[in-house]
Amino acid sequence: MDYLKEVIKGLWERNPILVLGIGLCPTLAVTTSVSNALWMALATTFVLICSNVLVSVIRNIVPSHIRIPIFITIIASFVIIVELTLKAFQPDVYQALGIFIPLIVVNCIILGRAEEFASRNSIFRSILDGLGMGLGFGGTLFILAFFRETLGANKLFGYTLIPGMKPATIMIIAPGAFFTLGLMLWAMNALKSRKRG
Amino acid sequence: MSNIVKSTLIMALITFVASMALSHINKITLPDIQRQEREKQESALKTVLPGYTITEKKTADTPDGPFTYWIGEKQREETVARGYAFITEKSGYSGPVRSMVGIDEQGTVLGIVILQQTETPGLGARCIERASMETFLDYILGRTTRVAPQPPWFQSQFTGLDATKKITILKRGDWTPGLRDELIEKNAISAITGATITSRTVRDSIATGMEKLTALVTLIKTEEEEGE
Repeated sequence: MDYLKEVIKGLWERNPILVLGIGLCPTLAVTTSVSNALWMALATTFVLICSNVLVSVIRNIVPSHIRIPIFITIIASFVIIVELTLKAFQPDVYQALGIFIPLIVVNCIILGRAEEFASRNSIFRSILDGLGMGLGFGGTLFILAFFRETLGANKLFGYTLIPGMKPATIMIIAPGAFFTLGLMLWAMNALKSRKRG
Repeated sequence: MSNIVKSTLIMALITFVASMALSHINKITLPDIQRQEREKQESALKTVLPGYTITEKKTADTPDGPFTYWIGEKQREETVARGYAFITEKSGYSGPVRSMVGIDEQGTVLGIVILQQTETPGLGARCIERASMETFLDYILGRTTRVAPQPPWFQSQFTGLDATKKITILKRGDWTPGLRDELIEKNAISAITGATITSRTVRDSIATGMEKLTALVTLIKTEEEEGE
Protein backbone atom coordinates (compact mmCIF):
# COMPACT_ATOMS: atom_id res chain seq x y z
CA MET A 1 0.00 0.00 0.00
CA ASP A 2 2.82 2.27 0.98
CA TYR A 3 4.61 1.48 -2.28
CA LEU A 4 1.50 2.09 -4.35
CA LYS A 5 1.33 5.54 -2.82
CA GLU A 6 4.68 6.45 -4.40
CA VAL A 7 3.17 5.79 -7.82
CA ILE A 8 -0.20 7.43 -7.16
CA LYS A 9 1.26 10.66 -5.80
CA GLY A 10 2.81 11.50 -9.16
CA LEU A 11 -0.56 11.19 -10.83
CA TRP A 12 -2.54 13.48 -8.60
CA GLU A 13 -1.23 14.90 -5.35
CA ARG A 14 2.26 15.74 -6.64
CA ASN A 15 1.50 15.84 -10.36
CA PRO A 16 4.68 17.33 -11.89
CA ILE A 17 2.90 19.73 -14.23
CA LEU A 18 -0.35 20.64 -12.51
CA VAL A 19 0.89 20.77 -8.92
CA LEU A 20 4.67 21.16 -8.93
CA GLY A 21 4.55 23.35 -12.04
CA ILE A 22 7.75 21.94 -13.56
CA GLY A 23 8.56 20.62 -17.02
CA LEU A 24 6.29 23.15 -18.70
CA CYS A 25 8.44 23.73 -21.80
CA PRO A 26 7.93 20.31 -23.44
CA THR A 27 4.36 20.31 -22.09
CA LEU A 28 3.47 23.38 -24.08
CA ALA A 29 5.56 22.51 -27.10
CA VAL A 30 4.86 18.90 -28.02
CA THR A 31 1.17 18.64 -27.15
CA THR A 32 0.10 19.53 -30.67
CA SER A 33 -0.80 15.93 -31.38
CA VAL A 34 -1.64 12.96 -29.20
CA SER A 35 0.99 10.73 -30.74
CA ASN A 36 3.74 13.33 -30.20
CA ALA A 37 2.62 13.68 -26.59
CA LEU A 38 2.68 9.93 -26.00
CA TRP A 39 6.14 9.47 -27.53
CA MET A 40 7.44 12.40 -25.51
CA ALA A 41 5.93 10.94 -22.34
CA LEU A 42 7.47 7.56 -23.09
CA ALA A 43 10.92 9.04 -23.71
CA THR A 44 10.76 11.20 -20.60
CA THR A 45 9.50 8.36 -18.40
CA PHE A 46 12.32 6.12 -19.60
CA VAL A 47 14.94 8.75 -18.78
CA LEU A 48 13.23 9.52 -15.48
CA ILE A 49 13.14 5.92 -14.26
CA CYS A 50 16.69 5.12 -15.42
CA SER A 51 18.21 8.26 -13.94
CA ASN A 52 16.27 7.77 -10.68
CA VAL A 53 17.68 4.25 -10.39
CA LEU A 54 21.28 5.31 -11.01
CA VAL A 55 21.07 8.34 -8.77
CA SER A 56 19.65 6.15 -6.04
CA VAL A 57 22.42 3.57 -6.51
CA ILE A 58 25.22 6.11 -6.13
CA ARG A 59 23.46 8.29 -3.54
CA ASN A 60 25.79 7.24 -0.72
CA ILE A 61 29.10 7.58 -2.56
CA VAL A 62 28.61 10.95 -4.24
CA PRO A 63 29.89 13.94 -2.24
CA SER A 64 27.00 16.36 -2.00
CA HIS A 65 28.88 19.37 -3.42
CA ILE A 66 29.40 17.71 -6.81
CA ARG A 67 26.02 15.96 -7.01
CA ILE A 68 24.46 18.30 -9.59
CA PRO A 69 27.13 17.79 -12.34
CA ILE A 70 26.95 14.06 -11.70
CA PHE A 71 23.15 13.99 -11.97
CA ILE A 72 23.34 15.99 -15.18
CA THR A 73 25.93 13.58 -16.62
CA ILE A 74 23.68 10.62 -15.84
CA ILE A 75 20.56 12.29 -17.24
CA ALA A 76 22.35 13.47 -20.39
CA SER A 77 23.68 9.97 -21.05
CA PHE A 78 20.21 8.46 -20.93
CA VAL A 79 18.83 11.22 -23.14
CA ILE A 80 21.50 10.48 -25.76
CA ILE A 81 20.61 6.79 -25.56
CA VAL A 82 16.97 7.67 -26.22
CA GLU A 83 17.95 10.03 -29.02
CA LEU A 84 20.17 7.53 -30.83
CA THR A 85 17.67 4.70 -30.40
CA LEU A 86 14.80 6.76 -31.79
CA LYS A 87 16.97 7.98 -34.65
CA ALA A 88 17.92 4.42 -35.57
CA PHE A 89 14.61 2.64 -35.13
CA GLN A 90 11.85 5.29 -35.15
CA PRO A 91 13.13 7.99 -37.54
CA ASP A 92 9.65 9.41 -38.12
CA VAL A 93 9.09 9.99 -34.42
CA TYR A 94 12.56 11.49 -34.13
CA GLN A 95 11.74 13.85 -37.00
CA ALA A 96 8.41 14.85 -35.50
CA LEU A 97 9.73 15.61 -32.01
CA GLY A 98 12.84 17.32 -33.32
CA ILE A 99 14.70 19.44 -30.80
CA PHE A 100 12.55 18.39 -27.85
CA ILE A 101 14.22 14.99 -27.51
CA PRO A 102 17.69 16.43 -26.71
CA LEU A 103 15.95 19.04 -24.55
CA ILE A 104 14.75 16.31 -22.16
CA VAL A 105 18.15 16.90 -20.49
CA VAL A 106 16.93 20.22 -19.14
CA ASN A 107 13.48 18.99 -18.18
CA CYS A 108 13.20 20.04 -14.53
CA ILE A 109 11.09 17.02 -13.65
CA ILE A 110 14.05 14.71 -14.09
CA LEU A 111 16.64 16.76 -12.23
CA GLY A 112 13.99 17.68 -9.67
CA ARG A 113 13.17 14.06 -8.89
CA ALA A 114 16.84 13.09 -8.78
CA GLU A 115 17.54 15.84 -6.28
CA GLU A 116 14.37 15.67 -4.24
CA PHE A 117 13.62 11.97 -4.21
CA ALA A 118 16.09 9.53 -5.73
CA SER A 119 19.13 10.89 -3.88
CA ARG A 120 17.34 10.22 -0.57
CA ASN A 121 15.41 7.02 -1.14
CA SER A 122 15.93 3.34 -1.94
CA ILE A 123 16.21 2.05 -5.51
CA PHE A 124 12.80 0.41 -5.52
CA ARG A 125 11.04 3.51 -4.22
CA SER A 126 12.90 5.60 -6.80
CA ILE A 127 11.65 3.38 -9.62
CA LEU A 128 8.08 3.75 -8.36
CA ASP A 129 8.51 7.49 -8.00
CA GLY A 130 9.87 7.76 -11.54
CA LEU A 131 7.02 5.64 -12.88
CA GLY A 132 4.40 7.69 -11.06
CA MET A 133 5.90 11.02 -12.13
CA GLY A 134 6.21 9.73 -15.71
CA LEU A 135 2.57 8.63 -15.71
CA GLY A 136 1.48 11.95 -14.23
CA PHE A 137 3.49 13.81 -16.86
CA GLY A 138 2.22 11.56 -19.66
CA GLY A 139 -1.39 11.75 -18.50
CA THR A 140 -1.36 15.52 -18.36
CA LEU A 141 0.31 15.69 -21.77
CA PHE A 142 -2.28 13.30 -23.18
CA ILE A 143 -5.27 15.34 -21.95
CA LEU A 144 -3.69 18.59 -23.15
CA ALA A 145 -2.84 17.11 -26.55
CA PHE A 146 -6.28 15.53 -26.85
CA PHE A 147 -8.02 18.91 -26.59
CA ARG A 148 -5.46 20.69 -28.74
CA GLU A 149 -5.45 18.13 -31.54
CA THR A 150 -9.22 17.64 -31.68
CA LEU A 151 -10.11 21.34 -31.48
CA GLY A 152 -7.08 22.82 -33.19
CA ALA A 153 -6.52 20.36 -36.02
CA ASN A 154 -9.83 18.46 -36.17
CA LYS A 155 -7.84 15.26 -35.83
CA LEU A 156 -7.09 12.45 -33.41
CA PHE A 157 -3.98 10.28 -33.78
CA GLY A 158 -3.54 11.99 -37.16
CA TYR A 159 -6.96 10.89 -38.44
CA THR A 160 -9.51 13.51 -39.42
CA LEU A 161 -12.49 13.67 -37.05
CA ILE A 162 -15.21 15.57 -38.95
CA PRO A 163 -14.49 15.78 -42.68
CA GLY A 164 -14.73 19.29 -44.05
CA MET A 165 -14.88 21.13 -40.73
CA LYS A 166 -12.47 24.04 -40.29
CA PRO A 167 -10.58 23.67 -37.02
CA ALA A 168 -9.84 26.45 -34.52
CA THR A 169 -6.20 27.00 -35.42
CA ILE A 170 -5.54 29.02 -32.26
CA MET A 171 -5.67 25.80 -30.26
CA ILE A 172 -2.72 24.31 -32.11
CA ILE A 173 -0.47 27.35 -31.73
CA ALA A 174 1.10 28.50 -28.47
CA PRO A 175 -1.86 30.46 -27.03
CA GLY A 176 -4.04 27.35 -27.28
CA ALA A 177 -1.56 25.49 -25.10
CA PHE A 178 -1.70 28.21 -22.45
CA PHE A 179 -5.53 28.34 -22.51
CA THR A 180 -5.85 24.59 -22.14
CA LEU A 181 -3.20 24.34 -19.44
CA GLY A 182 -4.83 27.22 -17.55
CA LEU A 183 -8.22 25.53 -17.66
CA MET A 184 -6.67 22.26 -16.50
CA LEU A 185 -4.98 24.01 -13.56
CA TRP A 186 -8.26 25.65 -12.67
CA ALA A 187 -10.15 22.34 -12.83
CA MET A 188 -7.49 20.64 -10.72
CA ASN A 189 -7.57 23.35 -8.04
CA ALA A 190 -11.37 23.49 -8.04
CA LEU A 191 -11.55 19.72 -7.48
CA LYS A 192 -8.93 19.88 -4.75
CA SER A 193 -10.57 22.70 -2.82
CA ARG A 194 -13.95 20.98 -3.02
CA LYS A 195 -12.39 17.84 -1.59
CA ARG A 196 -10.97 19.82 1.29
CA GLY A 197 -14.46 21.12 1.93
CA MET B 1 42.66 18.24 0.22
CA SER B 2 41.68 14.59 0.06
CA ASN B 3 38.16 15.86 -0.41
CA ILE B 4 39.11 17.41 -3.75
CA VAL B 5 40.91 14.26 -4.86
CA LYS B 6 37.95 12.10 -3.93
CA SER B 7 35.46 14.35 -5.74
CA THR B 8 37.64 14.47 -8.83
CA LEU B 9 38.03 10.70 -8.89
CA ILE B 10 34.30 10.09 -8.52
CA MET B 11 33.48 12.63 -11.21
CA ALA B 12 36.11 11.12 -13.54
CA LEU B 13 34.83 7.60 -12.91
CA ILE B 14 31.22 8.55 -13.65
CA THR B 15 32.01 10.47 -16.82
CA PHE B 16 34.25 7.60 -17.94
CA VAL B 17 31.48 5.04 -17.47
CA ALA B 18 29.02 7.37 -19.20
CA SER B 19 31.24 7.86 -22.24
CA MET B 20 31.97 4.13 -22.45
CA ALA B 21 28.25 3.37 -22.42
CA LEU B 22 27.48 6.04 -24.98
CA SER B 23 30.22 5.00 -27.39
CA HIS B 24 28.87 1.47 -27.20
CA ILE B 25 25.29 2.62 -27.91
CA ASN B 26 26.61 4.75 -30.74
CA LYS B 27 28.35 1.72 -32.23
CA ILE B 28 25.15 -0.32 -32.09
CA THR B 29 22.90 2.33 -33.60
CA LEU B 30 25.30 3.84 -36.14
CA PRO B 31 24.76 1.26 -38.94
CA ASP B 32 20.99 1.66 -38.61
CA ILE B 33 21.17 5.45 -38.61
CA GLN B 34 23.41 5.41 -41.68
CA ARG B 35 21.15 2.91 -43.45
CA GLN B 36 18.11 5.09 -42.68
CA GLU B 37 19.90 8.12 -44.10
CA ARG B 38 21.01 6.28 -47.23
CA GLU B 39 17.54 4.88 -47.86
CA LYS B 40 16.07 8.30 -47.28
CA GLN B 41 18.40 9.85 -49.83
CA GLU B 42 17.72 7.15 -52.42
CA SER B 43 13.97 7.39 -52.04
CA ALA B 44 14.23 11.19 -52.06
CA LEU B 45 16.09 11.04 -55.38
CA LYS B 46 13.33 8.86 -56.84
CA THR B 47 10.70 11.35 -55.66
CA VAL B 48 12.38 14.51 -56.92
CA LEU B 49 13.46 13.02 -60.28
CA PRO B 50 10.60 10.66 -61.14
CA GLY B 51 11.42 8.42 -64.08
CA TYR B 52 14.97 9.69 -64.44
CA THR B 53 18.08 7.54 -64.26
CA ILE B 54 20.82 9.09 -62.20
CA THR B 55 23.95 9.32 -64.33
CA GLU B 56 26.23 11.48 -62.26
CA LYS B 57 26.72 12.76 -58.76
CA LYS B 58 28.86 15.85 -58.39
CA THR B 59 30.05 17.98 -55.53
CA ALA B 60 31.17 21.53 -56.07
CA ASP B 61 32.82 23.90 -53.64
CA THR B 62 30.92 27.08 -52.90
CA PRO B 63 31.60 29.79 -50.32
CA ASP B 64 28.90 28.20 -48.09
CA GLY B 65 30.50 24.78 -48.23
CA PRO B 66 30.13 21.79 -50.54
CA PHE B 67 27.15 21.73 -52.87
CA THR B 68 25.98 18.29 -53.97
CA TYR B 69 23.95 17.77 -57.08
CA TRP B 70 22.88 14.90 -59.30
CA ILE B 71 22.28 14.73 -63.01
CA GLY B 72 19.56 12.44 -64.25
CA GLU B 73 18.56 11.45 -67.76
CA LYS B 74 15.29 10.34 -69.22
CA GLN B 75 14.55 9.07 -72.73
CA ARG B 76 11.93 11.29 -74.30
CA GLU B 77 10.94 10.15 -77.81
CA GLU B 78 14.11 11.00 -79.75
CA THR B 79 15.95 13.30 -77.39
CA VAL B 80 17.31 12.69 -73.97
CA ALA B 81 15.89 15.00 -71.34
CA ARG B 82 18.05 15.96 -68.43
CA GLY B 83 17.00 16.58 -64.87
CA TYR B 84 18.91 17.94 -61.93
CA ALA B 85 18.58 17.30 -58.23
CA PHE B 86 20.40 19.19 -55.50
CA ILE B 87 20.55 19.41 -51.75
CA THR B 88 20.04 22.81 -50.24
CA GLU B 89 19.85 24.08 -46.72
CA LYS B 90 18.79 27.22 -44.88
CA SER B 91 18.16 28.14 -41.27
CA GLY B 92 14.53 27.93 -40.33
CA TYR B 93 12.76 28.81 -37.12
CA SER B 94 14.80 26.53 -34.87
CA GLY B 95 17.57 25.04 -36.97
CA PRO B 96 18.62 24.16 -40.48
CA VAL B 97 16.00 22.86 -42.89
CA ARG B 98 17.62 20.66 -45.51
CA SER B 99 15.77 19.65 -48.61
CA MET B 100 16.39 17.91 -51.91
CA VAL B 101 14.98 19.62 -54.97
CA GLY B 102 14.54 18.15 -58.43
CA ILE B 103 14.10 20.30 -61.53
CA ASP B 104 13.93 19.62 -65.24
CA GLU B 105 15.96 21.36 -67.95
CA GLN B 106 13.60 24.34 -68.04
CA GLY B 107 13.81 24.90 -64.31
CA THR B 108 10.38 23.53 -63.45
CA VAL B 109 10.28 21.83 -60.06
CA LEU B 110 9.70 18.10 -60.41
CA GLY B 111 9.47 17.57 -56.69
CA ILE B 112 11.02 18.43 -53.37
CA VAL B 113 11.67 16.35 -50.28
CA ILE B 114 12.57 17.83 -46.91
CA LEU B 115 15.37 15.64 -45.61
CA GLN B 116 16.02 17.19 -42.24
CA GLN B 117 14.34 19.76 -40.06
CA THR B 118 14.02 20.60 -36.39
CA GLU B 119 11.05 22.93 -36.60
CA THR B 120 8.41 23.22 -33.89
CA PRO B 121 6.24 20.10 -33.71
CA GLY B 122 2.70 20.84 -34.82
CA LEU B 123 3.69 24.06 -36.56
CA GLY B 124 6.80 24.17 -38.74
CA ALA B 125 7.33 20.44 -38.47
CA ARG B 126 4.10 20.04 -40.41
CA CYS B 127 6.19 20.68 -43.53
CA ILE B 128 6.71 16.90 -43.54
CA GLU B 129 3.11 16.07 -42.59
CA ARG B 130 1.16 13.69 -44.78
CA ALA B 131 -2.47 14.55 -45.35
CA SER B 132 -4.68 11.83 -43.96
CA MET B 133 -7.70 11.01 -46.02
CA GLU B 134 -9.16 8.62 -43.48
CA THR B 135 -11.34 9.90 -40.67
CA PHE B 136 -11.06 8.70 -37.08
CA LEU B 137 -14.49 7.07 -37.34
CA ASP B 138 -13.26 5.04 -40.32
CA TYR B 139 -10.25 4.03 -38.27
CA ILE B 140 -12.33 2.86 -35.29
CA LEU B 141 -14.84 1.00 -37.44
CA GLY B 142 -12.04 -0.56 -39.44
CA ARG B 143 -13.25 1.06 -42.67
CA THR B 144 -9.71 1.86 -43.65
CA THR B 145 -9.44 2.04 -47.39
CA ARG B 146 -5.71 1.38 -47.31
CA VAL B 147 -5.01 4.01 -49.90
CA ALA B 148 -1.37 4.56 -50.69
CA PRO B 149 0.09 7.13 -48.28
CA GLN B 150 -0.32 10.63 -49.60
CA PRO B 151 2.80 12.65 -50.37
CA PRO B 152 3.39 15.40 -47.78
CA TRP B 153 1.03 18.19 -48.83
CA PHE B 154 3.38 21.08 -48.15
CA GLN B 155 6.20 19.63 -50.25
CA SER B 156 3.98 18.55 -53.13
CA GLN B 157 2.83 22.14 -53.61
CA PHE B 158 6.20 22.94 -55.13
CA THR B 159 5.83 20.42 -57.95
CA GLY B 160 5.17 22.21 -61.22
CA LEU B 161 6.33 25.64 -60.10
CA ASP B 162 8.97 27.58 -62.01
CA ALA B 163 12.09 27.68 -59.86
CA THR B 164 13.84 30.20 -62.09
CA LYS B 165 11.25 32.82 -61.10
CA LYS B 166 10.36 34.02 -57.63
CA ILE B 167 7.94 31.76 -55.83
CA THR B 168 5.42 33.77 -53.81
CA ILE B 169 3.84 32.71 -50.55
CA LEU B 170 0.10 33.03 -50.04
CA LYS B 171 -1.72 32.52 -46.76
CA ARG B 172 -4.55 30.25 -47.77
CA GLY B 173 -4.31 27.75 -44.94
CA ASP B 174 -3.72 24.08 -45.56
CA TRP B 175 -3.38 22.99 -49.11
CA THR B 176 -6.41 21.39 -50.76
CA PRO B 177 -6.58 20.00 -54.30
CA GLY B 178 -8.84 22.95 -55.20
CA LEU B 179 -5.99 25.39 -54.69
CA ARG B 180 -3.69 23.72 -57.21
CA ASP B 181 -4.60 25.65 -60.37
CA GLU B 182 -4.51 29.03 -58.67
CA LEU B 183 -1.14 28.33 -57.07
CA ILE B 184 0.47 27.08 -60.29
CA GLU B 185 -0.81 30.11 -62.16
CA LYS B 186 0.60 32.52 -59.57
CA ASN B 187 3.79 30.48 -59.11
CA ALA B 188 2.96 30.37 -55.41
CA ILE B 189 2.62 28.08 -52.43
CA SER B 190 0.23 28.24 -49.52
CA ALA B 191 2.09 28.70 -46.23
CA ILE B 192 1.72 26.35 -43.28
CA THR B 193 -0.64 27.99 -40.77
CA GLY B 194 1.39 29.47 -37.91
CA ALA B 195 4.69 28.66 -39.61
CA THR B 196 5.33 31.34 -42.18
CA ILE B 197 9.04 31.34 -41.35
CA THR B 198 9.37 27.64 -42.15
CA SER B 199 7.47 28.09 -45.41
CA ARG B 200 9.67 31.02 -46.35
CA THR B 201 12.83 29.09 -45.44
CA VAL B 202 12.00 26.26 -47.81
CA ARG B 203 11.17 28.72 -50.58
CA ASP B 204 14.40 30.70 -50.03
CA SER B 205 16.56 27.59 -49.81
CA ILE B 206 15.28 26.55 -53.23
CA ALA B 207 16.21 29.98 -54.60
CA THR B 208 19.78 29.82 -53.19
CA GLY B 209 20.16 26.25 -54.43
CA MET B 210 19.03 27.33 -57.89
CA GLU B 211 21.59 30.13 -57.90
CA LYS B 212 24.38 27.67 -57.16
CA LEU B 213 23.09 25.15 -59.68
CA THR B 214 22.73 27.63 -62.52
CA ALA B 215 26.32 28.73 -61.93
CA LEU B 216 27.39 25.14 -62.61
CA VAL B 217 25.03 23.89 -65.30
CA THR B 218 23.16 25.64 -68.07
CA LEU B 219 19.42 25.30 -68.05
CA ILE B 220 17.44 25.64 -71.25
CA LYS B 221 15.66 28.94 -71.23
CA THR B 222 12.29 28.71 -72.89
CA GLU B 223 12.69 29.35 -76.65
CA GLU B 224 16.45 29.67 -76.45
CA GLU B 225 19.39 27.72 -77.68
CA GLU B 226 20.98 25.24 -75.35
CA GLY B 227 24.39 26.36 -74.17
CA GLU B 228 27.23 23.90 -74.32
